[in-house]
Amino acid sequence: MASADKPINTDVPEKDVFALHFLQSLSNLRRQNTFNSPEKTNDRVKKIKKAAYVSMARAAGGTSRLWSRALLRRAAKETNKVVRFSRRKKRVTWLRRRSNRRDPVEEEEKEAERLRNLVPGGGAMETSKLIEETAYYIKCLSMQVKVMQCLVDGLSPK
Amino acid sequence: MSGRRSRSRQSSGTSRISEDQINELIINLQQLLPELRDSRRSDKVSAARVLQDTCNYIRNLHREVDDLSERLSELLANTDTAQAALIRSLLTP
Repeated sequence: MASADKPINTDVPEKDVFALHFLQSLSNLRRQNTFNSPEKTNDRVKKIKKAAYVSMARAAGGTSRLWSRALLRRAAKETNKVVRFSRRKKRVTWLRRRSNRRDPVEEEEKEAERLRNLVPGGGAMETSKLIEETAYYIKCLSMQVKVMQCLVDGLSPK
Repeated sequence: MSGRRSRSRQSSGTSRISEDQINELIINLQQLLPELRDSRRSDKVSAARVLQDTCNYIRNLHREVDDLSERLSELLANTDTAQAALIRSLLTP
């Protein structure tokens, strides 16, 4: 009956790690001449948004977290235009159905399902893992928002 | 109850998660949410409520990323020489 007693580690890297990765992504975009070319604004916004998520995933530790791995995989797929669904989704559905039958916490499972759709890679996670990954994801997301806000504030005309 | 535990161990291959661990994770999440963190009520906030607020918070953060991406896109495109020089100095290794 030994339960896992490993401590939950939810420390995120410092803000400058996120800033560095984001600036690197922006510099890559600049090298591809994204900002000077007369592209449609939407494409440019999409590229910046994708750069934000990818750099956030890299800053958070790349493939060491499930959600960052899923983000990077999704971004790579977009460039190759290949769509594949994770096979693991079926197994998790089975697990969830079993827990639904035993524990009367359907409302919780419904919210967990919604969370699964929001957190990248959530569809292949067990509920407890999902909650742990979500905490980390929220921290990284707010870091990324702070970095972007600082950049916007720095660039805005006084 | 033990039947479920052993079966879930076989299928997932990871160690069993106890109720206390899940509660601890939920409390951890609660600390991160701005609304729930400040309310130090004695009664425990339900797990479903925490998850719901988490979904809303994540959606808000996504929306903020979208907004900031749009503003960044405008700013980076319409920079005059002085600001472009600033960016260049920031972005060159």
